[in-house]
Amino acid sequence: MGAWVKNFTNGIIRANPTFILLLGLCPTLAVSTSIDNAFGMTASVLFVLLAANVIVSALRRWIPDRVRIPTFIVVIATLVTIVDLALKAFIPPLSKSLGMYVPLIVVNCIILGRAEAFASKNTVWHSIADAIGMAVGFGAAIVLISFFRQVLGSGSLEVFNVRLFSIPGFVDNPAAIFLLPMGAFFVIGVLLALFRWMGVSECE
Amino acid sequence: MAKGNGGAYPILFLTLVVLVSIVALTLIDGITRERIAEAQRQEIQEMLATLFPEMDGYGVDEGSGVYTILVSGSLVGQAVMAQATGYGGAIDILIGLEPDQRLRGIRVISQSETPGLGAKIVEADFLEQFAGMTLGDLALRKNGGSVDAITGATISTSAVIDGVRRGILELGTEGGG
Amino acid sequence: MSVSELIAIFFGMALVNNMVLSKFLGLCPFFGVSKKLSSAFSMGIAVVLVMLVASAVTWPLFHYLLVPYGFEFMRTVIFILVIASLVQIIEMTIKRTNMTLYNALGIYLPLITTNCAVLGITFINIDQQYGFVQALVAALGAGAGFTLVLLIMSGIRERLDLADIPRVFRGAPIAFIVAGLLGLAFLAFGGMVG
Repeated sequence: MGAWVKNFTNGIIRANPTFILLLGLCPTLAVSTSIDNAFGMTASVLFVLLAANVIVSALRRWIPDRVRIPTFIVVIATLVTIVDLALKAFIPPLSKSLGMYVPLIVVNCIILGRAEAFASKNTVWHSIADAIGMAVGFGAAIVLISFFRQVLGSGSLEVFNVRLFSIPGFVDNPAAIFLLPMGAFFVIGVLLALFRWMGVSECE
Repeated sequence: MAKGNGGAYPILFLTLVVLVSIVALTLIDGITRERIAEAQRQEIQEMLATLFPEMDGYGVDEGSGVYTILVSGSLVGQAVMAQATGYGGAIDILIGLEPDQRLRGIRVISQSETPGLGAKIVEADFLEQFAGMTLGDLALRKNGGSVDAITGATISTSAVIDGVRRGILELGTEGGG
Repeated sequence: MSVSELIAIFFGMALVNNMVLSKFLGLCPFFGVSKKLSSAFSMGIAVVLVMLVASAVTWPLFHYLLVPYGFEFMRTVIFILVIASLVQIIEMTIKRTNMTLYNALGIYLPLITTNCAVLGITFINIDQQYGFVQALVAALGAGAGFTLVLLIMSGIRERLDLADIPRVFRGAPIAFIVAGLLGLAFLAFGGMVG
């Protein structure tokens, strides 16, 4: 049990995919314009990561070494397509917001990386821990970035169409730059520096 | 860890995996296809209704993309989607036309203009000026037309004007009216 | 399909809607590779090549194989397999024909498979309903834009390494901030097209 928890927490702090490993940045920065998007993307990544880890781990003794990367890719691509179709059919607004970044999860280094580095070498049980941990770590990162971008960029915070708060005065003239792509770069750059300063990660 | 790389096994395995993938996805597609189509129809309907609230039916010519708006079976107007290139990329505009070739109105369906500037093309304040305009009105005021540009977003505004013009001309050549 | 339209697509992809700075595609190699000018250039060339060939292969595959049989949903699986195979083939071909080129590009080629920009451009070609030639031009533009940004970033980072930056910002943080500033600068291209 201790090992399970260790694998789980690994993905959240020590080896946080976004802030430490710097993996899977494409979707992180692209969809972080609102917290709703962040939740949606995290849920999608969680599903794919979990299913992929489980499948790869379960089949690990049968996957021939030579075709292991293509196999991982087909498995992940299939799972991603399932998520994409499901979103289009059942939650169209989210599908529109996330756009092509859902299919692009297939090249998200986090998922392929975990399949290769962990799931293909560990039991299903532990692979589940790894997947959930990484997804939570990813989710925390993307929600954090979205929080700052949305609040700074629009002066208010809206989750699932419920306005949580708005900053008076600021909401009429927010720093719109944060909603633009470059805002994402600024936010993550500053956050990374902040984490270093807090001693959470090491400097180069 | 992994099984041996002997002979044809790796290729067979990969082929099997791809086949399973195709089967699984075909199944999922079967379940979702109708839903997705329905969601799209719904979306188009809502979109058309924003310009023609009295609408109770519509037809579409797949080839030209022209929508005929119907009330009790008779034509009350037409609509067409046009695409323009704005500051930040493509702008999709829905154009509604009365039978006398005047604009019923326009709606911006999607855009990626600068928030706070060009993105204001989606606001009612900007869009409502287009209602009732004719082809001749479609130019910036400074160019002799009747369109008031958004301050600081002339490019986005011009893109919209350009898109609307093209849409109307397209409706004209498709046998409109 | 006029020449001016193609030029607009090219510059649109390369500058206005730059793959890295406004579409966020191609970030992984962007931050890993962009520390040295020479490696950045090699990576850029390799990416342009793969993007072009991938677009040339996936476009007809989609329009003549997937669509007629109603298999559009297989798009993601098929495209990524095509890209992975292409990268393998290109790598093997270069290895056999030009060892110097292989030594320069070698390690970067496999990385291109997971480059979101390559898969991204194949999707964009379909979503924007480009014709075949337009798709190729778009791929060229996307690759050129990616390379341009990569070159600029590595040039800046080479200088940054020598500059006196606060400890917590060194490396990744300042790279991101610089990328943001670069994106800001690229906004100026906004009025160029259309």
